[in-house]
Amino acid sequence: MTIKSSATSTAFSRRGFLGFAAAAGAAPLLAACGGGSASQSSATGVVKFWDMPWATPAYNEAAKNIAEGYAPASGNLKASYQTIQWNNFYQTFSSAIASKTGPAVSTGGGFQAFQFEQQGQIAYADKVIDKLKENGQFADFLPGVLEPFKSDKGYVAVPWQLDMRVFWYRKSLFEQAGVGLPTDWPSLLEAGKALKKIGAFGFTTGAGAGNNYGNHSMIMMMVNNGGGVFTKEGELDLMNDRNVEAIEFILELVSNGIVDPAAVSYTTDNMSAQWKDKKAGFGLFQVNVPQRVGDTSGDLLVADPITGPHGDKATIVFPNNIMMYKNTPSQEASEAFLVYYLGQLKELWRQKLMSALPVFKSITEIPEFADDPNNVKIVKDWQPIAKTFASQGNTLNANLAALDGGQALNQFTQTILTGQSDAKSALQTFESSLKSVIKK
Amino acid sequence: MALTTAEPGLSRARRGVAPGGPGGTANRKSKLSAQTSRTFFWLLLPSVILLVLIHGYPLIHAGVQATHDGSLIETGNFVGGENFATVLSSPAFWKAAQFTLLFTIVGVFGSWLVGLGLALLLRTKIPAGGTFKVLLLLPWVVPIVVSSTAWNWLVATPDSLVPSLFRNLGLGTPLFLADPHLAAITVMVFKVWVSFPFMMMMISAALASVDTTVYEAASMDGATPWQQFSQITLPLIARSTYISWILMTIFCVNDFPTIYLLTGGGPVSATTSLVVLAYRTVFQDFATGPGVAIAFLMTMTLVVISVLLYRQIRKSSVE
Repeated sequence: MTIKSSATSTAFSRRGFLGFAAAAGAAPLLAACGGGSASQSSATGVVKFWDMPWATPAYNEAAKNIAEGYAPASGNLKASYQTIQWNNFYQTFSSAIASKTGPAVSTGGGFQAFQFEQQGQIAYADKVIDKLKENGQFADFLPGVLEPFKSDKGYVAVPWQLDMRVFWYRKSLFEQAGVGLPTDWPSLLEAGKALKKIGAFGFTTGAGAGNNYGNHSMIMMMVNNGGGVFTKEGELDLMNDRNVEAIEFILELVSNGIVDPAAVSYTTDNMSAQWKDKKAGFGLFQVNVPQRVGDTSGDLLVADPITGPHGDKATIVFPNNIMMYKNTPSQEASEAFLVYYLGQLKELWRQKLMSALPVFKSITEIPEFADDPNNVKIVKDWQPIAKTFASQGNTLNANLAALDGGQALNQFTQTILTGQSDAKSALQTFESSLKSVIKK
Repeated sequence: MALTTAEPGLSRARRGVAPGGPGGTANRKSKLSAQTSRTFFWLLLPSVILLVLIHGYPLIHAGVQATHDGSLIETGNFVGGENFATVLSSPAFWKAAQFTLLFTIVGVFGSWLVGLGLALLLRTKIPAGGTFKVLLLLPWVVPIVVSSTAWNWLVATPDSLVPSLFRNLGLGTPLFLADPHLAAITVMVFKVWVSFPFMMMMISAALASVDTTVYEAASMDGATPWQQFSQITLPLIARSTYISWILMTIFCVNDFPTIYLLTGGGPVSATTSLVVLAYRTVFQDFATGPGVAIAFLMTMTLVVISVLLYRQIRKSSVE
């Protein structure tokens, strides 16, 4: 009796254990099968806002306070805030969207909204634009910043900051070299030669790990010559004469030692170090370089835009934007939150947290922004001539994501910076590489 | 003459045969009862199911992505082997494969040689040997982000420490990361530097299990230090060596951060390995199918290499 009882007990225990183990094993399976319903977003009852580390951690803290300080009108939902790291951000967003656990509203990569729009995941922002018209913010947009986001179906996203590319110079090096500031390409070449004599570089750039400034320098010079990657109709147009001329000029700068021979491998930190160590005399960079480099002595200044050989004057800009997704607990709540958030942006510039231009004129006029003469110069002289990566086209699209940061452009830039090819061959290779990755 | 005398002793020592004969080989296999086998089967089943789910699902999903023209969100249309054909006909793929092969060979054997040398050195009585051992482990222990930043600081610009040193020695100013050939060499040296502590620990562990009396016996038989090293030490640590080679081969082929953080795969693809190419294809060119196809081809190659090396392990065990 005892033995039987014991055996029964053992068998029961074993079965019980096996049952438990099977349940444990099945749990992730069931979770995987059951996951991915839209209910997850709605169950939380908040508008999930995902934001990127656009500046120092203080920026994200301030943005979080704005998002979580949102007091919705009755019937609408509150918002939650989450920072998403830049590393593998596209994968993060894609995975979350695919599993229906993504945000309702987010910032992100410059062309991310168009990529997800192509995949049917974006909620158009036309109603947000209507509300901005009602509250007066629409009229406050700087000229030309909203148009690139208007597609045939509606506004894909709403811009909130402008990542400008402008020429900076170090005043003391130009004084030491006894040369004037470049106003056009020939004077850029001459200034570069003079700077080289004192051990500085006249066309500072970089194309190392994670550094896109070299890529941007290439496109900027094309655009500055009236060229660009696309036609006005959005067709690929790399082999035009203006582009060839621009790249030949950069090759001339390279062969004259005006570009640092190690620039091809420079990270953004290496570039910043070159500026700080007074090796960089002139070059394309972003807004707030003195703060980034750590030299606010007043020696680093924004230069005037230079004129191309055919009289063109242009630079490139990345209008960073806020997008809404179809997976939301309430589209009205997403729109209401976005209108609120855009109305609070001033606070970020008031606290001097941003390394980009605002999109609203009223923010460019606040003392915390306008007290910096470099900012004023960028708004006055550079913003009006800024074109997007889509140049000469006007509307942004998903293909630009594969251009910006893609292998084709990076290879092209590195080829030019190492002087390994002539302009036409390099552009041809660039064009064929780009054709293989852009979608028709 | 000494060699002739030493051979039988060395041979016996290598096989771990103690004086007095090989002894009886106990048959440790015992037949499990059918009941016990069933119990084992049911106990193992949940783990097996979990493992199949964890490894099988991503593999199947990757297979689907590699044969479709979709994105990370959408599956897209079935294109059969088109992505594989695209990848295999791409010069970029073969250039990356060539670099991966070279990177792996240098990474595996470079780190093994350095690790072996240091393990043998640390086996001898040297002052503060323990401290040295800890210090030598640092390259393996320090996060790769930190060490790649340090290496970048050492070599990136013409005024960095190492190029300055070369310049002061009258050797010119090498651009370690900007010159395609030097960048490839720098990345490989960096990999060896990061990996040798792992090899050192593996070999140290293997050496610790070698009975020192074997060496005493070999010395008495007249074996030279080189004979002791080549005919006792190396054969006795062969099993660990093959295992470490398998692991390091996998580490090298799959190594993304070492390369990506230091050079990003450049300049002009000079340091683009297959895993970097796969990453850039999926996440920078947004070409999911071809990128996953590259990863598939990498996995298949790794499996073949691992099987070959594993056979070598079994062979060395039998010997």
